[in-house]
Order: sequence, then C-alpha cells, then structure tokens
Amino acid sequence: MKLLTRGAFALPGTSLDFKTGTWRNQMPVHKHWGAPCHYVCPAGEDAQAYIGKLQEGHPQAAWEVLVAVNPMPATTGRVCPHPCEQACNRGKMDEPIAIHLIERYLGDEAIKNNWAYPVEGKAKGEPIAVVGAGPAGISAAYHLRRRGYRVTMFDALPEAGGLLRSAIPITRLPREVLDAELARILALGIEFKPRQALGRDLRLDDLLADYQFVFLGVGAGKSRHWSVDGAVPSEMHEGLGLLKEWIAVGKVPIPKSVVIHGGGNTAVDLARVMKRAGTAEVHVITASGLPGPDADPKDVLNVVPREFEQAVEEGVVFHPYRTIQRLLMRGSKMVGIEMVRLKKIKAASGRTQRVAFEGTETVLHVDMVVPAIGEVIDPTGFESLVGGADYFKADPWGRIETHDRVLVGGDARGDRGTVTAAIGDGRIAAGVIDSALAKAEMPAVKRRDFIPYETLNPNYFEPAARAKEPTLPIGRRTDTEEIEGGLTTAQIGQEAARCFSCGNCMACDNCWTLCPDNAVVKTRDRATDGSHYVFDYEFCKGCGLCAKECPCGYIGMTDDA
Amino acid sequence: MAKSSSQLKDEILKRRSQPKEPAAPVTDESDLARLRKSQPRFRGLEAGHRACQGCGEALAARLVTEAAGPDVILTNATGCLEVFTTPWPQSAWRLPWIHSLFENSAAIASGVEAALKAQGRATKVIAMGGDGGTFDIGFQALSGMLERQHNVLYVCYDNEAYMNTGIQRSGSTPHAAMTTTSPPGKERMGKRHLKKDLLSIIAAHHIPYAASASVAYPADIRRKVRRAVSITGPTFLLIHSPCPLGWGFDSERTIELARLAVQTGLFPLVELERGEITGVMPIRKPRPVADYLKIQNRFRHLFVEDPRALKEREHLQALADHNIDQYGLAGEGADPLDADGADTVRRGGLVD
Amino acid sequence: MLHALEGSQAIAQAVALCRPGVVAAYPITPQTHIVENISKLVADGKLKCEFVSVESEFSAASVALGAAATGSRAYTASSSQGILLMAEVLFNIAGLRLPMVLTCANRAIGAPINIWNDHQDSMTVRDSGWIQLFCADNQEAVDTTIQAFRIAERLELPVMVCMDGFVLTHTLEVVDLPSAEQVDSYLPPFTFANKLDPRRPLSLGTLVGPEYYSESRHSLHRALQKSIPEIVAADKDWKKLTGRSAGGLLTVEGPKDAKTAILAMGSVVSTLCEANEVLAPKRKTKLIKLRAFRPFPVEALVQVCEGLTELIVVDRAFSPGQGGILGTEVRSALAGMKKKPTIKNFAIGLGGRDIPLETITHLLDAAKEQEEGDFAILDVELNKLPPEDR
Repeated sequence: MKLLTRGAFALPGTSLDFKTGTWRNQMPVHKHWGAPCHYVCPAGEDAQAYIGKLQEGHPQAAWEVLVAVNPMPATTGRVCPHPCEQACNRGKMDEPIAIHLIERYLGDEAIKNNWAYPVEGKAKGEPIAVVGAGPAGISAAYHLRRRGYRVTMFDALPEAGGLLRSAIPITRLPREVLDAELARILALGIEFKPRQALGRDLRLDDLLADYQFVFLGVGAGKSRHWSVDGAVPSEMHEGLGLLKEWIAVGKVPIPKSVVIHGGGNTAVDLARVMKRAGTAEVHVITASGLPGPDADPKDVLNVVPREFEQAVEEGVVFHPYRTIQRLLMRGSKMVGIEMVRLKKIKAASGRTQRVAFEGTETVLHVDMVVPAIGEVIDPTGFESLVGGADYFKADPWGRIETHDRVLVGGDARGDRGTVTAAIGDGRIAAGVIDSALAKAEMPAVKRRDFIPYETLNPNYFEPAARAKEPTLPIGRRTDTEEIEGGLTTAQIGQEAARCFSCGNCMACDNCWTLCPDNAVVKTRDRATDGSHYVFDYEFCKGCGLCAKECPCGYIGMTDDA
Repeated sequence: MAKSSSQLKDEILKRRSQPKEPAAPVTDESDLARLRKSQPRFRGLEAGHRACQGCGEALAARLVTEAAGPDVILTNATGCLEVFTTPWPQSAWRLPWIHSLFENSAAIASGVEAALKAQGRATKVIAMGGDGGTFDIGFQALSGMLERQHNVLYVCYDNEAYMNTGIQRSGSTPHAAMTTTSPPGKERMGKRHLKKDLLSIIAAHHIPYAASASVAYPADIRRKVRRAVSITGPTFLLIHSPCPLGWGFDSERTIELARLAVQTGLFPLVELERGEITGVMPIRKPRPVADYLKIQNRFRHLFVEDPRALKEREHLQALADHNIDQYGLAGEGADPLDADGADTVRRGGLVD
Repeated sequence: MLHALEGSQAIAQAVALCRPGVVAAYPITPQTHIVENISKLVADGKLKCEFVSVESEFSAASVALGAAATGSRAYTASSSQGILLMAEVLFNIAGLRLPMVLTCANRAIGAPINIWNDHQDSMTVRDSGWIQLFCADNQEAVDTTIQAFRIAERLELPVMVCMDGFVLTHTLEVVDLPSAEQVDSYLPPFTFANKLDPRRPLSLGTLVGPEYYSESRHSLHRALQKSIPEIVAADKDWKKLTGRSAGGLLTVEGPKDAKTAILAMGSVVSTLCEANEVLAPKRKTKLIKLRAFRPFPVEALVQVCEGLTELIVVDRAFSPGQGGILGTEVRSALAGMKKKPTIKNFAIGLGGRDIPLETITHLLDAAKEQEEGDFAILDVELNKLPPEDR
C-alpha cells in the first residue's frame, strides 16, 4: 500500500512506473529501405552509403564502401550515364545529387593518394580464368581476387580496358585516369596475359582444364547487321568501327553531311567527333526520345544527359522518335534518307512494338549514313557455348545453360549495354563462383525496395543548387583534352550534404528530438539495427510523429500485435 | 499514515548516495533503462507521462526544460500539462515543480523568485501555463509578474483552446475555429472573435525579451529558451503547440501542423526586446492558409459549399497576409534562419 | 518594552521580529496600515525581506504560497473582499500543507459595500483548512502573530490571525513588544523539508484521484485537530518567556459560580468584559473568550460549560438562512453534554454597528425571550426596512 505523502508531493521521474506503451496500437520500426540511387545502379553501388561516409568526414572510408562494389570509380564517374541521378529523390525537390561527380572525386582522390584497395591476404585459392579485360572482366577478376582466388585474365589486345580504351573518346575518359586505375587493380595480384585471343591463342577446353571456372567478358565486338529494307550504301561504315579507328589513328571520314542512326553512346560520341573533325551537318536519328525534364527516363537516349546537351551545343542535330525508312540514291551515290516518325506502343499482345506513322515522312539530304545500332558477339573460340545467337543467354547471375563452369557478363549478354552493368556482372559472377567453391552465399541480384520521395520528409532539407562541373567552352574543346572537370573538396562536401540519405538513418537526432514521450533513446554506438536510436516500447504511445518527421523515411509504422 | 517529510528526505538521500552506474559501452534493447539514464541531454520531463499521442505541449515542455537545464524551479498552471505529468504518486518531472491553481502560475513564480532572492539562491524560475491560463484567467497575474520585473521566464504552451476541460474556446482560439463553445451552426461560423494578440500586450510591458516559437522548430525553441534564461528579469515565450485531439488531426501530424502555421503566416515567429521587434523568422515561400486549415477538423466547416465559409477562409488568409506584412516575414533566398532552414537536419545531429 | 502603537503598526513590528523572507500584500481597508508599516520598515532597512506589492489579493496569497514552498517564511495580510478573492488560494495553501501566517483585519463583506468591522470574511473561509485564531486586543494580536509562525512551521499548516478591523487595527494602545532576542529564542529559523530545490526536485501540487483524495482530506482534518496541543504549548512557552498569555484556546472571565455565560470572539469580548463589570455585576455572568476557532476546541469548551444553565453565543457574522456561525458550531460542540446549557445565539455589530456597553444587558434580556435554537441580529432596527422586507 502506497502511503500518501504530506500535501501529496511526488518524487522525481516516478512516471517511469507508468508504462504508456500499453496505449499503443501502432509501433514505429526502423526500416532500412534501398535508396533509389542504389536500386537502379547497374553496378550495385550504394551511393547513399558512401555519401554518408563522406558526410561523416571520411573520404577514404567512402571510397572503400564504393570499391567494395566497383573497383573503377574514377572511370565510371566519367563514363556512366548515371541512372542513379535520374532516380535520385532529391530531383523531385530541386535537382538530383551530382553522384557521378562524387564518384569521380573519390576515384581521383584514391589515385592521387594511392589509397589501398580493401583487398587482403595473398591469392591462394583455386585458379580462375577471366577472358576479356574490359569492365566485366576487370570487375570479375577484382572481386575474385578480393575473395582470395588466383585469377588469370586474358585479353586479345595488348592493353587491358576493353572498349573503355578502344571506343570511348579521350575527351570523356583521359587515358591516364584509365591507366592509373587499371594498374592499381592489376597490382593487387591479378595475372594479366595480353594478346591472347580465344580461338586464336587460347582454347576454351584448355582453360576449362586448367581453371576451376571461366568467366567470359568478351564484349560484343561485331557490328549488328544493318540495312534499310535490305539496302545498304555502297560504301558502308559502321559507327563503332569509325569511333575505334578515330581513337586508334585519329582519323574519320569528313563528308559534307552525315546521318548517324542510333541512340547510344557510340552514336553520340561519333556525332561529336565527326562534327569536330569538320563535318558541316551531323544528324542523329533515334527511335528514342531525348533527355529532358518531362521525358520518360526509360525511353530516352541511353547516354549521359550532359553528353547529349554538349552535343547539341556543339551543333549536332537530333531527330527523336524516328527511323530511316528509305535510302535515297542517285546510282551508287547516296543523296539522302527518308525518315519517318515512330513510337514504341504496347500492342494488344502486351509486347511493345515500334509503329511508324504513315504521312510523317521527311527527307534529309546527306552524303553518308552511319549505323550505330549496337553490336553483337564475335563467337570465335566459344561457338559451342552460344550456338548461332547474337548474344549469350544468361540468368541474372551470369550462368549459362551450355556449361556449368562458364559464366558470362557485360555486353556479351546482350541485355546490358553500359560499363556499370558490366562491372555489376563481374561482381555477381565472382560471388557465384565463390559460392560454388567455398559454399559462400549466392550474391543477391534483387535490391531492397527503394524508398519513394513521398515517404521522405523533405522539409528538413534546405533548397541548395546542384554542383556544376567545370566544362571547357566549345571553342576550347579539342580531341585530346577532357571536356569536363571535377569538383573541389569543398564543393564535394556541399554536394554530399544535399543527400537525403534515402531510407537510411543519418543520425540527425530528429526522432530523438521530437518524441513528446521520451520514448526514443539515443545510443552512443550503433544500435543492433545499424541506427543510432532505440525505441523504448515500454513508453512509446505509437503516435507516429517520429515516422512522419523522419527526414530519411527510415522509420515506419506497423500494427502492434 | 502519511510519511513524514524527514522520512522521505532520508529515502531520497539514500537513493542519491547510491553510486551511479557507468554509461553503457554497447547497447541493445535490454540495456534500455541504463541507456535512458545516460542520455546526452538533460531530462526535465521523463517518459511515462500521460499526454495524448502526439501532444505538442508535452514536446514543447520537454524541449524547454531540456534547454533550460537542471538549476530551475518550475511552476505550472492547472491544465493538461499539469494533469498528465503528475497523477500522484507519479511525477514525470525531474525538476522541482509546483502546481497551485489555474490562474496563478505567474504569481506563484513571483513568490518562488522572491524567496530565492531572499535566500540568495541563483536558481532560475520558469512559470508555465497553457493559453487559457495565460491569455485569459492567469493574465492578470502574468501582467503583474512582468511589471514587477521578477526574474522569471514565463512559457505559454499555446494550443489555442481549453483542452483539459474538453476543447472550449479561449482568447487564443483563432478566428472561425470550431470549439465546443464556438460551434458552427446556422448563425455562426465558429469563433466570432480574433485570436488575442498576446505578444503585443506582453511587448507593452517593455520586458527585456519576449518571443514566439513553435514545436516545429526545436532548435529555435532551444535558442530562445537559452536566451531568455540568460537574462536577469522577466522574459516570455509563446510556443505554438498543436493538439491532435482538440484540433482534430492525426497524432503523427503535430509537427506538420505547427510548421504550416508558421509557413502560412498565421503564427509568426518573432523576437522582441524591450517591446521592439529584433528578429523574425522569415518565410521563404508562404503557403496558402487553406493548406493548414483543411487538415484540421476545427476548420472543417470552412470547406463546404457556403459563401460564409469562403468568406471566413479569405478572412483567415487576410489575417495571415497581414502578419506577413506587419512583421516583415516575407523572406528571400535561402536564409538558413527562415521557416524552412530553421529545421534543417544534419548527419550526426545538430550541434547547437 | 512598552510602546504606544497603532494596532497595525504593532502587527508590522511583530511580523518584522519574526524575520519573514517574503511579504506579499495588496492594499485593502482596514488592513492597509499593516502593509504600509511593513513596507516602511523594509524601505528603512530595518527589515530585510522581499516585499512584493502584488496586483491583487489573489496574487498576494499566491506569492506567499510560492515563497513558502521555496522555503521562505512568508506573510500576507488582507480583509473582507480581499480574503474572499484569496479564497481559492487559501484552500490550496492548506491542502499543500504550506506553513505561513496571514493577518485578517476583519471586515464586513459587500454588497452593500461596507468597510467596517465584523467577522464575515474569515468566517467565510473557515473551511479552508487554516488555523484561525481570534484576538481580543492588540497585545494579543502581537503575541498571537509571533506564536502563529511557530505553530504554522511546526505543523506545516497555515495560520490566520484574525483581529478586528479599525477597532484594533486603527486603535492606539500600549503594547509590550518582545525583544528580537526573545523572538529569536522562541522562533527558530524556518526550514521546510519539502521545499522546491533542484537538488531534491519534488513535485508539489499533484493530482490526487478518488482512491486517495479522502485520505488527503482526512490527513488535513487530523492535522488541524492535532494542532490543539501545539496551540496550547505555543502560548504556554510564550508565557514562560514573556509572562503573557495570548489566551490559549479559550479563556473564561467573571464570577466562578455564574450559571450564565456569554461566548464571543475578538474585540467584542473586551467590551463585554468591561460592561459586565460596570453594568451587570448582579446578573452574575461569565465571559468565555474563544481564541481558537479552527481547530474548534470542543473538549476545552465542554469543560468550561460544565455547570452552566445558559450560554449566549455572540456572533459577528452569520450564514443567511441558517443563523450564527459560531452559535451553530457551539450548539454542535455541546450537543454531547449530559447537562448542557440552553444556547442562545445573537449576531451583533455587523458592518461596524456600534457595540455600546449596554449591549450586555440587551443580550441578557433578549436571551430570556429567545427560544432554544433560534438566532437573531440583536441590534437590527426593523423599522428601517419596508414592511415586506422585515
């Protein structure tokens, strides 16, 4: 029996005897959502995570988070079309975080300061062969090396890099950056054997005899067959070939006017090269739309939006939602093309079809047409694995039905198309091999759901303009100098501070500050769920305020059974 | 048999003499009680109080006492805060606290302060009350306290009606709001009169410092409390504290409501020294009052097909616009102290 | 030391001798001179205390409440409407068990407004839980004021010292003021165990529900009852120190064998005593001077009423529609006596109506006429009223 105090005074803090948690019918829980940048990244980079480290003032730790997934951030920071930025929730408030510039910065800093890759111990596991030293092969080799395997990487060319070296203009990717990054990766203890072409210098059977697994990152080296109703110009050049030639020997044909047919990086890069080389009129015809604020990101040119803008700046003319319907010839001489509007439309069957619209035909007077509609694999040396197909058919882990010790990734798959996708394939294949040889868990190919903008609370973020990279003015652009520059450390700090930390706790104290019931308790170290706060369910009344006000959407309400 | 105070004193002294447990190095849910004791902030108001879910007043009181620190004596007018914190034998307070009556929080504080002065103690006194206990019934005592220059910070938790008695209109209830004593009907559209401009009346006392604040801006509250308690003399703080039950909105929206009240201009955040405006929180992009009104049940009658409803909505918009003009609230650019920037969060929490 | 002082001045001196920490007051006739004199003592540096001139009696009581709760000796004074305005706070002070002293310069309650003396003000707050001591003269008022602080602080209860407005407060009398040393030896410095203190942060004034409210009221009731020996002891010790008693719970004067007694409180007792000696020595009447109205000293009263056949209770206030307040309470107190006197009850001197010496004979005569259980205003002149209001 409680004895009444004189005048009924009470002792301090005794309300702790009254457990208000029993009032609750909903309870807050921490939920680590995927950030959209992570969800869409073909390489699997969690930009939210490394930007978080950067905000904490640990750039090297940020880089380590980054290279735990992608060993080549200095490269991808420059060449990736960064779908992460299109997906970035910040874009719904003002402008997306310049993730590529942060990635590039971390990559460049690592090279500058010679930060050590988080790779430990000596390679002593089973031997693995990687064929093709492009992005997929390098990524596979790196991740296998991280897991302790002895890796031998073969490439037909004298230097590693694949299409990064052969097909991407120096103006986008200076070779000293590529060289430095590759050298640092190879120096981790990856045996690299150049000038070894499959079917010429190597036999697949030999590889399978000598190595436990073979990863094929052979790319797509052959141009896809192109014709207009069976017709082709007499003097046929295809896009990737012209680009490679230009990179290798510095020469391209210079017609008066040209139309390039295609909607990818090859088309845009070539268009800019030809324009700079002196072609007066350069047209790009693409079945896709153009990047822009109202565009559907799934239906636009598959290029970095800035590259497109720079191309327009430089005078390249784009014709979206069109295809070439007819070549106009005078004898064997090409005088123009007839193009027509088309759209991808969902047919009754549910599949999308391209439908050309009669009555929208127009004529372009051009001397030359260059197809840049993509490439297919050159199956020399592994014909038995691919049959007659244009590409490998692989499951999401890179496994193929025709051989259980061969995995494929990158452009050889046909369903990829970017450097970052190839890097993702290499990482996953390494995980698959590890799971087979060391009973490690199979790598996850599904990402956690990403958090929609509506679930965040953007009130807690100030409007702040996106950082802009320094860009060479048109007049000063050459064929040898990188057009875009990077940001300063201070700018990077400001840019990182714009991050919403979508779906992940950033220890901002907001829940702790706003709980009317003192039911959010702060932990000095991380709590078991990785945040910095613990809900005290003995007292939490389930008002939902912390969830509503969590800037990052990290807190959700769930029924309390 | 009642326990004598000396018995209790012994009990407390015994409790106090027990060694404090060291802070937990690693924490999980089982360490909660220990963790609670080692929070890196002063806990003036403890968990286990019986405020409704999402109570703005409870939050405001927590923030005020946290910012003011442990060397404080609190006085409390009758009202929700008093009731939900101290149902005997429990108290949620960790500060010396006294409740006497509805209308005398300021006078009790005056007496406490006079006694402290007589005893040569430097403890700060904070008087607290709701809007009923401040704008209305306790106003005379408050005015007297300010006029006599007692060294007291008076904090009014403004939830714009008599909530403890079941939502009756007070002098602070906004124009056109529905309460149980200002119901809309054939002849009425909610409260007929305006919200009393208390801050101007306070300002007329020429006290060293008076300010308005909002639970939507905790850092601003902390700053204003610290400023107020650092001043020797009477100071006043009016904190807008939404009431989910009384205003009719979901408990999770307390902060959202408070924020909208500021961003519409209906509840301007200002600072006054000696009666002169010395600071305002600018509004970067004023929001239409309808954004604020339409999510509250107490303004539901303003969103029906009725010309009177439209008129009252426009009236409230005009009042908000008037505030924006009057106090110069229209902000420009990204001012970090504006209504958007003031609640900016940062990784690792706010250092202020 | 003897001084010729106005009542209010004497009270101010007595309060100052008790070294209060905080004095809060608001002016009202006839209390004004008390607080004027205290503020003068403060202004002259003769009294070191916080003098808070508040904006209402309500705040005066509240300030005193806050000060007492913070551990300071607190004092306030008021009258009439002021006491009524304080009423809510007075109940609160007692319920919180806060010791303090209040001087009530008794005055009538309006309407009609009337600034002169009767007891309606303090009678109206008799249920507030305060100890109420009534003084017959200024010496008693001075001594009672000092005793009141000791009683209050030992019991953690507030004490109201009632003295008749004008009749005492504004009358110059010779008063023996104790020395500072005497008072200091009698009244130790104030310590309050449950004071507001950040080092021991108690919550005062909590919400108590039905399951404990009765106990809290019982506790207050018992505290008042148990204050009886404390009141007696305080007066006994005072007498030891100064040679003067302030009247204990009650005192009896007049012939020991008298079968009739008049019971009254306050200055009217002095008048009746003098009248008894001068005008009615043959009618053999005792005078019972009741000092402690709260707690009501039932036992002591029964004792002094043994052997009486008639007891005339003189009220200075009444409860309209019922009768004299003191009369009702005395009837109730003596109800258990085996041979109890017949009890007659009159109100006199309302709103400052003069109480001449002849009142005693009027009382004794009227008592013969009054039926047991009745009540009347003795000096009412019905011919001043329209017939329908008589």
